[in-house]
Amino acid sequence: MRPDLEMVRAVFRAEATELLAGMEQTFLSIETSAGSEVFERLFRSIHTLKGNALLMGFPAASELAHTVEDLIEKLSARAVPRTAALATLLLQAVDALRLLIGIPNVNERAGVDPGEIQRRLVAAARAGGPPEAASPASSAPAVEGEAPAAERLTEAVPAPARERTLRVGLDRLDRMLDLTGEIAIARGRLTTMLEQPGRYSPQELLAAHRESDRLYQDLQELVMKARLVPIGSAFQPFARTLRDLSTATGKLVRLELSGEEVEVDTAVVELIRDPLTHLVRNAVDHGIEPPQVRKARGKNPMGTLRLHARHEAGGILVEVSDDGAGLDPGRIRDRARAMGLLGPTEERPDDELYQFIFTPGFSTAERLTELSGRGIGLDVVRSNIEALRGAISIDTQAGRGTTLTLRLPLTLSIIEGFLVGVGEETYVLPLESVIECVDLPPTERQPGRSGVLNLRGQPLPFLRLRDHFAMEGPPAERESVVIVGYGQGHQAGFAVDALLGQTQTVIKPLGRLFQHLPGVSGSAILGNGRVALVLDVSTLLRKLLVAPGPTAAA
Amino acid sequence: MSQPSTPAVVSQYLSFFVAGEEYALGILQVREIIEYDTVTRVPGAPAWIRGVTNLRGSVLPVIDLAVKFGLAPCTPQRRSCIVVVEVSLQGDKLVLGVLADAIGQVVELGPGDMEPPPAFGTPVRVDYLVGLGRAGKKFILLLDIDRVLQGQDLLAAGALKASEAPPVQAETSSKEAAR
Repeated sequence: MRPDLEMVRAVFRAEATELLAGMEQTFLSIETSAGSEVFERLFRSIHTLKGNALLMGFPAASELAHTVEDLIEKLSARAVPRTAALATLLLQAVDALRLLIGIPNVNERAGVDPGEIQRRLVAAARAGGPPEAASPASSAPAVEGEAPAAERLTEAVPAPARERTLRVGLDRLDRMLDLTGEIAIARGRLTTMLEQPGRYSPQELLAAHRESDRLYQDLQELVMKARLVPIGSAFQPFARTLRDLSTATGKLVRLELSGEEVEVDTAVVELIRDPLTHLVRNAVDHGIEPPQVRKARGKNPMGTLRLHARHEAGGILVEVSDDGAGLDPGRIRDRARAMGLLGPTEERPDDELYQFIFTPGFSTAERLTELSGRGIGLDVVRSNIEALRGAISIDTQAGRGTTLTLRLPLTLSIIEGFLVGVGEETYVLPLESVIECVDLPPTERQPGRSGVLNLRGQPLPFLRLRDHFAMEGPPAERESVVIVGYGQGHQAGFAVDALLGQTQTVIKPLGRLFQHLPGVSGSAILGNGRVALVLDVSTLLRKLLVAPGPTAAA
Repeated sequence: MSQPSTPAVVSQYLSFFVAGEEYALGILQVREIIEYDTVTRVPGAPAWIRGVTNLRGSVLPVIDLAVKFGLAPCTPQRRSCIVVVEVSLQGDKLVLGVLADAIGQVVELGPGDMEPPPAFGTPVRVDYLVGLGRAGKKFILLLDIDRVLQGQDLLAAGALKASEAPPVQAETSSKEAAR
């Protein structure tokens, strides 16, 4: 295959991804509301897809698209009734098209057989009625006799990695180009000035430098803004997910979306999709009760799942809430005791008990269903969120429902950092977690990895970074404690040798060799050219909280 | 290129010194040689990862081969430098710095100048070597740098995550991490 064809195909795939996502949304609402303009839009989408697929060398996808087109035509002319079964079939056709074109499916549905779906689409269009086998369970492999047809259709290409693209308004790009031009001029001027030693005073040079610096900051802000996309694109697939889940579990769930217009960095949208999917599945599987149970409890038989996004100082909040059964502290306590996380007679407040659900391997589900028990748990969700420098918290009321709140930073690449010095090294703490700094009084200065400080009458545990990181060299003359907040209103301190102030920091990932390094979330290059590590406050502290005692830094 | 009579079979190697021994890497793997500058220690990383340094704005991991070979760690001297190499690691291209006490020479080796690695007697594990190169009277150890970083040893970085978990789980999670 010629490489340039592969590039053209990548563009086609990006476009097809959008078209299919749009079609999926429309099919979801086809049973309830569908005016003629909806069908016109559907026609345009499927027609574009059909033509392009053929042009790009996906004849099977084109053929399938053609069948879908036929069926839509019948639907539009009301020659076939709009039933839920038909909608399911059309949704499966979208999956099949994704498979044939090689678009990784966000809904990770397995067992899509394009041949079988093609056959049922034809049957549905011809019979003018719902297909005979349209239950979700029938997405089984095709029967033996149909093998030739299926073989012809599944020329599926191996799914390539998802193309990361973003649409940016041309005027924004133009402004960026203008700014780069202006920066080039300012840089040139500065170079000319520097090449004539003695002619310009340091003040003049500094002024020239500041000029280009201002332009650079404008550019940086513009680039960051260009990366912002509405979070709604991460929410939309859940309409489909919920529909499938409802069919699979027999539960009735309504999806409520709000705050879809809240803008976040495109990387955040990509990375929270999986954690959100998990939380949504969890809410339906564990939270929302079956309709009979809900009725018996005096609730609306149809449960509600809410996805809500809003801005919060320096970040965004995403809430996943259900009006289901809520967490059961008694069962969590029993499970925690069974796992040895809690002593046999030890009691904890409910808030702390809920935190156990983030422990690896923790599940109170009595049975493993198709949905849960897939081997990933809330611990993975939490570590994914923390990898985004976010946090997750739970709010639950027995019988009333559960809300999981994700707190995420607006952008992933630049943070306000607070620099601290430990021995020869400098570390960066995210400024948003820093509350205040105090001197460590000499009376509290017992050697050791950690200690407790009397902060205005309250005990404040602190971690001495010098000992925790096993630094060599003599201890500092005086030490300071940076007080940080973590979790829900908890505070702790880091004892450091020097406070070096705050600065804007560009975070660089540490790369594959340092994957899964606890307590370090990335690195930053300092003004003096040295590399400083960015510390991950919550994992650093959690490591201590989970495993008290002298666990040596590996 | 100085011997145009046999251009196809002669390959060039860059030699450098680690713990008194001369090693060489295929020159196509070497991107550049930079001066030794401060290397930031990464707490929790395996001992053979010296740390990270700034390579014109990107973060470069620096490897101490001496530790990897089971010798005493390299002490930076005036002539110390970092050889920036491109290695392939489980299908990915990775740029790494290799700490060297000094740079040796560029040697050109034809097929006649290379011997297979001896069964024993070399200061490093035989599977880290692709062969011995004959440069004048002495032999230079030709390193297989991809191999040096591959396999079990790499798990060390992943296993760190497991260090906080009970040892029973440590093994499984390090396998996961490596995947």
